[in-house]
Amino acid sequence: MSDRPVDPERPWERWLEEPPHPAESHGAAAGIGSGPAPATSRGSDAPPGPRIRPVGELTRLLRDLLRGDPRLRDLWVEGEVGQVSISAAGHCYFTLKDERAQLRCVIFRDERRVVRFEPRTGLRVVAHGRIDLFEPQGAYQLYVDALQPAGFGDLALRFEALKAALAAEGLFDPARKRPLPSWPGAIGLATSISGAALHDIRQVLARRWPLVRVFLAPCQVQGDGAPESIVAALRRLGGFRDAARGGRALDLVILARGGGSLEDLWPFNDERVVHAVAASPLPVVVGVGHETDVTLAEFAADVRAATPSVAAELAVPARAEQAAGVALLGRRLGAAAGRVLSDGRRTLEAERRALESARPEAILAAERERVGLLLDRAARAVGARLATDAARIARAGDRLPLLASSRAARARAELRAVRAGLATLSPYATLERGYAIVRTPEGAIVREAGERRAGDPLEVRLARGGLDVRVERVRDSGP
Amino acid sequence: MSDETPTPGAPIAAAGTPSDGGPPADVAAMAFDAALGELQQVVARLESGNLPLEESIALYERGVALHDHCARLLSDAELRVQRLVQQAGGALRTIDLSPDDAEDEA
Repeated sequence: MSDRPVDPERPWERWLEEPPHPAESHGAAAGIGSGPAPATSRGSDAPPGPRIRPVGELTRLLRDLLRGDPRLRDLWVEGEVGQVSISAAGHCYFTLKDERAQLRCVIFRDERRVVRFEPRTGLRVVAHGRIDLFEPQGAYQLYVDALQPAGFGDLALRFEALKAALAAEGLFDPARKRPLPSWPGAIGLATSISGAALHDIRQVLARRWPLVRVFLAPCQVQGDGAPESIVAALRRLGGFRDAARGGRALDLVILARGGGSLEDLWPFNDERVVHAVAASPLPVVVGVGHETDVTLAEFAADVRAATPSVAAELAVPARAEQAAGVALLGRRLGAAAGRVLSDGRRTLEAERRALESARPEAILAAERERVGLLLDRAARAVGARLATDAARIARAGDRLPLLASSRAARARAELRAVRAGLATLSPYATLERGYAIVRTPEGAIVREAGERRAGDPLEVRLARGGLDVRVERVRDSGP
Repeated sequence: MSDETPTPGAPIAAAGTPSDGGPPADVAAMAFDAALGELQQVVARLESGNLPLEESIALYERGVALHDHCARLLSDAELRVQRLVQQAGGALRTIDLSPDDAEDEA
């Protein structure tokens, strides 16, 4: 063994292989300076006998030894964090321990920015780094360049393996993704009945689209049994038929859970849950955890949402936008009706001229009255409805302040314009001013007194109602 | 849940005369999207013109009923959440979940 050529780079190997020299263990006690000069002991050809080494040299030797061992580089260590201190320079010193031992660790200031995760006393962590020896203190330490809560490494490995397997099954295939219905009438919700997710989703739906009916299938969203519970909830929602909607199935399902630790969110990486999401007969929106959390169930979802609130927003249309759209249609409706009426007035005028030139008076009267009655009905329909519209829109405006004043004001302006137009259209507007229409029982309009005799029955149409009368006396005079 | 459009010339207005105030029963039962879709059709037809006056009025009345229904749904709707409860036989029953249910729980 000692015959082996010594590697000039690793002279200590030979030194280590030698059986401990008896003098060596006593060297320090035997008296300083009793041996040969230490400076000469480095060479491989050092003479036998007690060898006394300066601390610095031995420490350097140990340092090189530690640095040279590949097992002490690129190292993962798991343990519980003991004392933590931050130096004035910003480096973080802490110990990692288990039942048997402890290990000094340091994260330099620059590494701390990258690592982000701060060790706290009592936490179980997994640290990555290398072992080195800090010569001034003679202490070996773990120089940490990555730090995670314990369990993460394990979960991360399982996550990647499962993700690859499920992707290979095609569960995350974009071609599988179904679009969400534009107008969901009923939504299924799979989440915890006591969680923040339910609260958030209710708030968003109540504000954004309260027209939707929500059916909650409560499930356990963390811990043992959660995957089975989630799968059962999805199955219940998928099979549910809403009697109030004629036995129809739900339009979509939201699967949600609020933020939590990686372990808390783990059920959403469970193979059974991922399969159940992919196999759902209804489109599924999955919103789990915070923006930064990623779960496999999200990959299998038809729509992936960053959070439960976002899931709710993606699931339904926005009320404010729809209210604006409905208001616009209402204005177009009013404007179109106004145009129809003015067209009607022009037609009436044309007909009147045509009929008057033909002079068949009975036909003229009947025709005029028909059109007049129609316009009268139109006036009542448009006028009355626009009035109630205006009131209703004003009331709706109180609830939707953004749209209120402009909607109501425009509706009232339209109402006034249409009414003004209608007032001049109707023949009854003339009666309102005190005129009357006098007709024979056959319906012919009476224009000349000379055509009538005393005793003839006549009908008088007034603004409101009519009179059946008889001629008392004929006064045949000029116009 | 009817989403038929009125047939031209049919006496549609009979379903809701101008004086009775309430919308025709079929409109009152319509889902928002069905009512909105028909309202869009009504407005488009009325805007295209070339309709007899009587039909225009009937369309207008129908349009107003649809518009009111949509506006009312948007302004009056309150979110209703029901909880699915599995019964012994496996059948599902629903119970209303009031707004403050469950939110006090841990």
